[in-house]
Amino acid sequence: MANITTDAAKPERLQLLRVLGPAHVWALGVGIVLVGEYMGWNFAVGKGGMIAGLVACWVAGLLYTCVAMIDSEVTSTVAAAGGQYAQAKHIVGPLMAFNVGLFLVMAYTMLEAANAITVGFLLDTVAGMTGHSGLHQQPFIVLAIMFLAWLNYRGVLATLTFNLVIVAVAFTAICVLFFAIQFGASDVPLDFSAVTEEPLPYGWLGIVAALHFGLWYYLGIEGTCQAAEEVRSPARSLPYGTMAGIMTLLIAATLTWYMCSGLIPWEYLGQAGTPLFDAARVTGSVWLMVLLFIGTIFATLASANGCINDASRAWFSMGRDRYLPSWFGAVHPVYRTPYRSIVFLVPIALIFALGAPLDQVVTFSILSGLLGYTFMTFNMVMFRRKWPLDTIKRGYVHPFHPLPTIILLILCSTAFFAVFLGYGTQLIAMMCFYIVASLWFHFRRYQYVRRGDQFTMPWPRPQGY
Amino acid sequence: MAYEPKKQGLAAQIFDVVTLLVLTVGALYVPLYMGLAGAAKTPNPIENPTWEALGQNAAEQRQWEALGITDPASVNDMITARFDYSFSWAALIIMIVSVVGYFVLVVRLSDREYREVLDERFGSKRKGG
Amino acid sequence: MDIWNFLEYGAWALSVVFGAFLLIDLIRVDTTYDNDLLTSSREGEIEATQERHTI
Repeated sequence: MANITTDAAKPERLQLLRVLGPAHVWALGVGIVLVGEYMGWNFAVGKGGMIAGLVACWVAGLLYTCVAMIDSEVTSTVAAAGGQYAQAKHIVGPLMAFNVGLFLVMAYTMLEAANAITVGFLLDTVAGMTGHSGLHQQPFIVLAIMFLAWLNYRGVLATLTFNLVIVAVAFTAICVLFFAIQFGASDVPLDFSAVTEEPLPYGWLGIVAALHFGLWYYLGIEGTCQAAEEVRSPARSLPYGTMAGIMTLLIAATLTWYMCSGLIPWEYLGQAGTPLFDAARVTGSVWLMVLLFIGTIFATLASANGCINDASRAWFSMGRDRYLPSWFGAVHPVYRTPYRSIVFLVPIALIFALGAPLDQVVTFSILSGLLGYTFMTFNMVMFRRKWPLDTIKRGYVHPFHPLPTIILLILCSTAFFAVFLGYGTQLIAMMCFYIVASLWFHFRRYQYVRRGDQFTMPWPRPQGY
Repeated sequence: MAYEPKKQGLAAQIFDVVTLLVLTVGALYVPLYMGLAGAAKTPNPIENPTWEALGQNAAEQRQWEALGITDPASVNDMITARFDYSFSWAALIIMIVSVVGYFVLVVRLSDREYREVLDERFGSKRKGG
Repeated sequence: MDIWNFLEYGAWALSVVFGAFLLIDLIRVDTTYDNDLLTSSREGEIEATQERHTI
């Protein structure tokens, strides 16, 4: 069996192209997330005050470190496009996989829409600063989505190399701003007096409530798994890229909190549209403002780009297994991308970007992500139980099992409660959506799925079955 | 012996995708149209707002200025707005039941389907592994 | 009319170009190649050939 090579299978089979290295995995993971530092995280400060913002930053950081560790272990063993979707299919079962696939597509498509909305908003702000009021944002929103869809369509290597460059610029911009402020480039000094004067405007409940948007600092780092089928050496590159990604983000998140809280009054920060850009405005330096404007635009584009990449992989995988019509499971003969899925998701993203308010879209995205993390907890326990460490070889084994799983479950429950504070209706609307979709899949859609073919990994029969 | 899935025609495939889309768009827009969405902050503006009365010290005043805001009255609402975190226990219980119930439902139905998959892949066998 | 108005029209025009490319290429590929070939990708081929996960 080991003699079969991919070359022998090539003439009659189309595969996704395997060209990516660990740096691309890092760029995909950090690229989707880094925009969270440029916008969105600061609503956590609004929900609980400055201290709550910092606590949420680190608690969410802990949650995502657990996510990264768990994900790295499972995905280094299940190297398939669709990431967590393929994990769920092998470890929990088909209906769970269908749900996880939906979580992924929803979380990423909504995030993509949120990014496009932000591009429009930022250009409107800049147009306003140059004296042009009432810019039409729609053409820029449409262009951002169309351009990135086109880039994704044309091939994964160019897409993620582009991401690598713009993410590096956006991350550097954060570091430059930090050092510039430390070396006194700011007209206005850092001031943390609100930390002592008004430590917790909402009391301890504020810290819990802040966790809702604290997730935004890191949401999407788990998207690295989607690239599994296109990475040259998945068992090595995926854990490496994911772990490097979460470390980068922990640094960026802490720096961002420090600079923004020091330079912007918390009442303003709690509702700002583009906090890092505002911090640069406070410094009074035109150079820093230009740099952070570029950083913000690049971060949003990188995120939308990664989201198109990930959502289309998840949709494609579901089509390949006939969870969705098999038409979607097609690979482009020249560019080797899941081209039908990419094109299909364009109008969906446009519906959300042009029709829904930003905080709704963001909450929908966060909730889908959160359901996905909750799934990871029991997924991990079942994975170790069905295939103990001595039965199959893993690319990476995470330490301290089951401690990360337990921490993750506790933090997920807290985060559900945090979302419930203020956004309870959406939470329940979304649960209804997933319950109806599950019943639809189980009783209608599943009849078109081949049973045995879904289990594609060369693993032994799971223990206990 | 293996389960042979039905063939699905083009119209039925399109129908399935449309169903899923309607569900998605519905979940996003129905709460919006019913006016149930979003957490609102309520401003509690104070009389005769000055920077001092609004609790802004000298350094913070310079920050507001750098953001282009020199008149404290214009940010009276922004500074005094607070969220309302009171909630009903009934709503909390509905949330817990729906989240937990959802996961239980999905995992149980999945497990039934999963056993079928394994039987087809590894051959039918009753117990062990 | 100032530069922002031109940018708006430019953005619409470019969107149409990218959109047209996507649709035309999709139709061209779908009519040129056999659908069975296009949907021939299978999950797990990496595992079947390189990453066997055996101890």
